[in-house]
Amino acid sequence: MSEVKQKIIAVMAAVFEMNIEDVPANSAPGVVEKWDSLRHMNLVLALEEEFSIRFPDDQIEQLITIELIELSIKELA
Amino acid sequence: MISLKFTDILKRNHELGQKLTGSEYNIGIISNITINQIKEVLELNLREENINANVITGDYDTIVQDSSHFSQSDTVVVFWEAGNLVEGLHNKAHLMTEEDLDVLVCRVENEIELVLRNLKNTPLVLINKFSSFLFYSDPLRNEPLARLCKRLNAVLESKVTSNQIIVDIEMVFATVGLDKCADFRQFLSSKALYSLEFFKAYTEAVTPALLTATGNSKKILVLDCDNTLWGGILGEDGPFGIRMNDMTSQGKAFLEVQTILRGLRKEGVLLALCSKNNFSDVEQVFLEHPDMILKEEDFVAKKINWLDKATNLRELAIELNLGLDSFVFIDDSAFEIGLIQKELPHVKCIQVPKQLSEYPTLVRRLRSNFFLLSKSVEDERKTKMYQEERHRKANVSQFSSIDEYLRSLQLKLTIYWDADIPVSRVAQMSQKTNQFNLTTRRYTEAEIQRMLADPLYTLAAFSVSDLYGDYGVTGMAVVRNNEEFSNNWVVDSFLISCRVIGRNIEYAFFDELVHTLRTRNINRLHGEYLTTAKNSQVEMFYDTLGFTRTLDKENGKDYMIYLSDYKGQDIKYIDII
Repeated sequence: MSEVKQKIIAVMAAVFEMNIEDVPANSAPGVVEKWDSLRHMNLVLALEEEFSIRFPDDQIEQLITIELIELSIKELA
Repeated sequence: MISLKFTDILKRNHELGQKLTGSEYNIGIISNITINQIKEVLELNLREENINANVITGDYDTIVQDSSHFSQSDTVVVFWEAGNLVEGLHNKAHLMTEEDLDVLVCRVENEIELVLRNLKNTPLVLINKFSSFLFYSDPLRNEPLARLCKRLNAVLESKVTSNQIIVDIEMVFATVGLDKCADFRQFLSSKALYSLEFFKAYTEAVTPALLTATGNSKKILVLDCDNTLWGGILGEDGPFGIRMNDMTSQGKAFLEVQTILRGLRKEGVLLALCSKNNFSDVEQVFLEHPDMILKEEDFVAKKINWLDKATNLRELAIELNLGLDSFVFIDDSAFEIGLIQKELPHVKCIQVPKQLSEYPTLVRRLRSNFFLLSKSVEDERKTKMYQEERHRKANVSQFSSIDEYLRSLQLKLTIYWDADIPVSRVAQMSQKTNQFNLTTRRYTEAEIQRMLADPLYTLAAFSVSDLYGDYGVTGMAVVRNNEEFSNNWVVDSFLISCRVIGRNIEYAFFDELVHTLRTRNINRLHGEYLTTAKNSQVEMFYDTLGFTRTLDKENGKDYMIYLSDYKGQDIKYIDII
């Protein structure tokens, strides 16, 4: 697993209040119970701080799987 | 705290939330925008202080209703965003006529009144000042939204009750920087306006009020002396080598700091000294140095000795009945700061900055640690009250009787006669002592000198030391011949500094005085009590000593005793040297 992916999962674990090993590989709103619109924003802000990036407006709503998040972060890095 | 990343804030807050078991401290946040992210930040900041905080955010834009729902909370925070008083007001205000704006002000004014009334019994209410800064910050223009805010703030200011504090949110903007405070992505998507960075700074800014409300604020500031209250080292540079006046920029920094500290004291912050120095050297500076802004009476306690500072701070906490978590400690030495941080991690430690120009600002900012919800006249008196309490506590708690306590002190009295008395200190005491002073006659140095040269006068002074240190010269007496009869004398002055009263020193001193007069074949001694506003505690002094009252005057009483009848108090536990 890439270092970026590991960090993403760690952030998700903190935001959705679960253990790192319990974060599902297919995480998405609807799969993870606590992933509501409010926590989605928390996730976005936490990821931005973690990676020292700022997501463009149009990407914020698309950060809904681990893969999409990883892709977006790699583009911005 | 402010340096933590959001991920860590979430993680740590979750952990602490499961660990803390005390009763919940409920904070309701009501607002007309989305402010959810403040929850975790604010909770964590308080949970780190062992306050089991539980933050509940109200519904979107239901401030009036929520002010009623949340009125039973321990604290309510109000985020009332001017730009969203009506949908899109931050832009629409420019399209509105003055009449439209008046109507709006009128509506919000009523709402403000309602909200404040609903929250009048909530222990603490933090209500943000209305601000237009996030939308308009052109210093040359008085925008409609800014004018609106100004009017609403005037309403707020006139309506808040003592439990309701207006938070000047613009100061938080200034700390963070305007552009970093807003997150307009969220404003467009979910009517959330503020950035995480803002919430962190806001939380830091309001936490002192919450710590005060929960009884967790700092209460006492413990200060080192050398290079903390003044520039230089007293033991090396001497009292006139230390710097705290405006002759040098270094001295000026300490002058500023002393002035700020005095202001803090006035607001109710307790000050104490903890310095490795000779007690009497420091005392002399406080009593005699003309540049000292801080006076001895500004300090609730002094630990001036050669013990380690952790021991001293622990003792202070016990003596003053304060938790160590209410202590702030300032010292210039990295060693001392390190020691306290290691030994007493709850004490907040501040090291005097290497760049002295930064020192006054640092101390000014400390003020927020001592946030006080309501100012009262008690604040100024607090130092004195604590001093008294400490005195009482020391007496009562550890010793079954006062005498037993006094015996344990190993009191030593050194008496100086006539030519040996310290003239300037004796004159000073005559001018300053009010309480234990039988006649309150004020003398200058020249007058003391003249009396010393006159055989019809005898003068005595004493210094006291005990187990805890040396109190210096703290009492004096002037006895003079009553002229007509050579063996008939009168006590012209008799006074004791209030720092050493309550130790029966006055009796030991008077016994010695009588003893000396007897050796000079004086057989009658007159006493005099002159009433002042402050010396009622010595009203019965001569009665206690067995004098006969000979005259009740309008302003006092005259007494007389034949020295052959004088029995004395015969205090066994005071060594006379």
